[in-house]
Amino acid sequence: MSAAEKPSGLGKYLIVYLCMLAIPALEVVIAYQNIDGPRKLLGMLSLAIVGALLGILFFMNLARERPRLILFVAVFTLFALATINYGWTDSFRLLVGAPFAK
Amino acid sequence: MSQADLAVGGHTPAMEPSPFAIPAKKLAMWLFIISDVMTFAACLTAYGFLRNATPDWPRPFHSSTVISVMVMAFILISSSFTMLLGVRAAKADDRPAAFRWTLITIAAGIIFVLLHIRDWAGMVGEGVTLFKNPWGTSLFGAAYFSVTGLELLHVIAGLIALIIVGLGYQRGRYSSDDIENCSLFWQFINIVWMFVVPLVYLLNVAN
Repeated sequence: MSAAEKPSGLGKYLIVYLCMLAIPALEVVIAYQNIDGPRKLLGMLSLAIVGALLGILFFMNLARERPRLILFVAVFTLFALATINYGWTDSFRLLVGAPFAK
Repeated sequence: MSQADLAVGGHTPAMEPSPFAIPAKKLAMWLFIISDVMTFAACLTAYGFLRNATPDWPRPFHSSTVISVMVMAFILISSSFTMLLGVRAAKADDRPAAFRWTLITIAAGIIFVLLHIRDWAGMVGEGVTLFKNPWGTSLFGAAYFSVTGLELLHVIAGLIALIIVGLGYQRGRYSSDDIENCSLFWQFINIVWMFVVPLVYLLNVAN
């Protein structure tokens, strides 16, 4: 967005704001459901990811940037998260013994 | 100095164009945020591992804490919206409005910090410290205070940045781009909170 550019309407951002407010409320509903832990975690994490995407695309205005920047941010963030996820195997190795060392 | 200014007289520009058509400071902020994603992801992953590896992980959060956390989420998400309005006003060269929205964001952030400290005080009152707690799982306190403390530290850092840049913008020292860069960081803090709430609090509500 260039300097002194007339911004577009607020309606879209209000909807995003209301959706982001609804997400923690839905997470509380899930928290008090009588379901098993992994399903609870999956439901809450899915909602959190939706909220994060809304925040990144609209509140951080990434949706209005060039596709190259969107790709850059997405690739590097996913790479960072994948790198950390790589540590899980070692964590479980520590937890349950050493299945990969044999 | 713009690219056009550098290209006068038929010469090619002396500087490479920005790779993503955004100012260098904004690109630096995006890079910082990506690196901060790694910090939080590592912290939350370690927390998840500890929780998964500990069969008797405590579930100490009662409905009063959940209500408090929801209020904090409401305040932080609302502050993200007011920050967005501040950026829009700054981009439209409406300095008073931009400053006003930034002040509202700062006020919301201060309320969030106070509620967070109150939440911590409640936990300490229940006997939770870094290495001790009434439920016997010694790492619970360390994990809880680390994850929420990192978030609190970011909120405080964001508040300091907003105060400095907001006041500087009002005095004409900083531009709308600087407000936008601060806003990026503030929005990121809000996004992190969306993960902290379910993982740290809601998965550990008392039955």
